[in-house]
Amino acid sequence: MNLCKINGVTRLPVLRSCMQFSSAANTEVQPYEEDEGQENTSYSQPVDKSGLQPQHKNVLLGKSPYQEAHSWIHLTEKYQRQAFGRYGAKSNVNPKICFNSRGETAQTEVMQLETLLKMLEKSRSQKAEELEKINAREDDIAKKMEKLKQWKADLHAKIAKREADAAAAIKRKERLVEEVRRHFGFKVDTRDERFKEMLEQKEKEDKRKQKEAKRKAKEEKMMAKLVEKTSSS
Amino acid sequence: MAHLRETSDKALKLLRTLPRVQIGNLRPNPNSKQNDKRGRAQHGGDKHGAGNKGSGQRQNFMRLGYETGNQPFYMRFPYEPYYKGHHMKRQYPPISLLQLQVLIDTNRIDTSQPIDISTLCNSGLLKLKPAELEYGFQLTDDGLDNFKAKINIEVQHASEAVIAAVEKNGGVIRTSYYDPRSLHMLANPQKWFQKGVPIPSRMLPPQDAVDYYTNPKNRGYLANPEEISKERLVLAQKYGYELPKIENDSAYEMLTTTKDPRQIFYGLEPGWLINIVDKTIIKRKLE
Repeated sequence: MNLCKINGVTRLPVLRSCMQFSSAANTEVQPYEEDEGQENTSYSQPVDKSGLQPQHKNVLLGKSPYQEAHSWIHLTEKYQRQAFGRYGAKSNVNPKICFNSRGETAQTEVMQLETLLKMLEKSRSQKAEELEKINAREDDIAKKMEKLKQWKADLHAKIAKREADAAAAIKRKERLVEEVRRHFGFKVDTRDERFKEMLEQKEKEDKRKQKEAKRKAKEEKMMAKLVEKTSSS
Repeated sequence: MAHLRETSDKALKLLRTLPRVQIGNLRPNPNSKQNDKRGRAQHGGDKHGAGNKGSGQRQNFMRLGYETGNQPFYMRFPYEPYYKGHHMKRQYPPISLLQLQVLIDTNRIDTSQPIDISTLCNSGLLKLKPAELEYGFQLTDDGLDNFKAKINIEVQHASEAVIAAVEKNGGVIRTSYYDPRSLHMLANPQKWFQKGVPIPSRMLPPQDAVDYYTNPKNRGYLANPEEISKERLVLAQKYGYELPKIENDSAYEMLTTTKDPRQIFYGLEPGWLINIVDKTIIKRKLE
């Protein structure tokens, strides 16, 4: 129940509602007339009961909150640009502030242009390098593959020679031992002194023979070469 | 897949000879039955599963992972760079062609205008977060077969099949790069215009992205347009559709609208100061 007090005149809304729903509603109710003079003066000024601060009210109404600078922040470039951005011309900001000085903008743009070509060149050269590396390695491997057969043959020959030499040495030893044994007979032990002395003698003889044989082979080769030369010339 | 056929043949052969499936022929599901081994009585008792003498029975085991002196596996790798640099990698949140078709069919996107990041973000259903290293959208091939819209779209990544799908319907697709500042502007243009700063120019892509955006196969925005048209033909031949003639299209102008590599918004050039409240454009005086 609100009892509204307007310039001293009190209303009684309860009574009215009772009259609305009463059974004896045939009786006319006189309209409630107030003094007109008083009415005009009471409603002429709208009363702002919002309790808002002026800057917030301005924002609500779409205006720049502060028409005058209240703080150092309102004088900064950033704030004024933002004010222009949000409120437009109403913000009373000269749009000149929004633009940078000419020199700064030009510098950054030129830098970028240069780098695009450089970037393309760099990527191209990087790719070429990688490809080159791969190709170089492949060539290297190909060359080695050509020699592979030869290397295999060499290795087999080496092994065969080693084995042959070992076998030859064993054979030679056996032969000499046999000869000595033939000389002494089976009664004498191989590790006996006399046996060993004989063995040494035999080895020396054998070596001498081999050297002679080698020398002869060399001489024959030389002779063959000379003959070839003379025949060809 | 020859070995699969052999195993299935084997299985079928087995089935012919095996007996009928009965409870007595079945084995319980793995890990469904627990071993009721008590530490007492004949089977669980006596040595309690620890054997005889030795370190086993005396419960003196080597520490887990020990490999009797050599460098154990868990000590061999001092560093595994699984996530090295992941926080700096560019991300491209996906939009499927299905999603795009749905957006178009439900009038969320206007196909009579070129489509770019702004269009997609302004639909309200897609959001880009440049601060989380999202460098734009990628168009994925989900719903590729049912895509039937003719659009001029600009994304940041698209695969070959997606490009084919768009071009098959008479549309135009381009991939372009936007630097983070431009992305912020596009994702929320209103917020950016409220700053009251003239539009800056777009930056070029970084070194590792230059190759992608200069490649006509990807319809890169830095690629040669002639080569792009050649690649269009190549793609049409590869995927087996007739290349639509955009020149004869009524929307030719709209379809061939492209942005300059330095441009961020359609129709707005760098250096212009836009005011949304006053609906004005303020340009610098040419001196």
